[in-house]
Amino acid sequence: MTLEVPRAVAGAPRIVPRLNPANVVTASRFLTLPPLWWAIAHGHHQLATLFIVICGLLDKVDGLAARIFDCRSAFGELFDAITDGICYGFGLILVAAYGWAPVVPVGFVIGLGLANTALRFVYIRRAGRPVNYKSYAMERIVAYTGYLIGFATGGMEVTLFYWAFVPVMIVIVLHDAKRMLLDPLPAPPPGARSASIVASVVAGVAGAAR
Amino acid sequence: MMLVPENVFRWLLVLVTGGVAAAWIVHDVVLIARLRGADRRDPLVADQRFGYVMGIVIAIIGIVGTLRFCGVL
Repeated sequence: MTLEVPRAVAGAPRIVPRLNPANVVTASRFLTLPPLWWAIAHGHHQLATLFIVICGLLDKVDGLAARIFDCRSAFGELFDAITDGICYGFGLILVAAYGWAPVVPVGFVIGLGLANTALRFVYIRRAGRPVNYKSYAMERIVAYTGYLIGFATGGMEVTLFYWAFVPVMIVIVLHDAKRMLLDPLPAPPPGARSASIVASVVAGVAGAAR
Repeated sequence: MMLVPENVFRWLLVLVTGGVAAAWIVHDVVLIARLRGADRRDPLVADQRFGYVMGIVIAIIGIVGTLRFCGVL
């Protein structure tokens, strides 16, 4: 017996499998965290810097993979954002815990990052579909966050870079909060699903991590 | 464990921070310039403009930090 696979119907939304090259690259960033921890714990500044650079470069490679293999999806964007939060949050906690970075600004960075994540889930609930608010400013501050860990591991102007980060991050979170909570939502694309989206996204993240 | 001599590591930090920051200022200034004439009331355009301005601010912080690291400021 053979199974007939229905051909894609013109105009129907394209379904991208969650296990795709871009998401695999995104997930592989987690592999840099144990060696990063080991390097920081043993005082290897250069190795720790190398691992956080690899983590940051993989963040760029996943976007490239998504374009090359044509597997961009709302889930992939969310998974990327969540991976950024986990990797950089973990890195910041490590450098603060081992005294390589000041604790107070690290607390601000993590607190504001969590607030931004919560805002994104509220935005998804408002929209009723898996949608990622594209923040051009947040993309830039996330890159800065990756650099923050590198500044700590490399011992480069740590106090200046960490304290300068806080006001910039506050301004961006306030701007994005207004956009996600108060401003009108963009129209859904044709064929967009609606459902209990927060649950499906959380389940999707767990599924991709398996 | 040293991968490269300490002074090489310092110069790599300067290159990766200062070099990227300098290139980023040019990148975001060009993108802002391209938005000239776009509808300012369009939320997407406003988001882009805000993001590029923040990018320039962050890149300036990167340049200042790099110059301090090099003992220039």
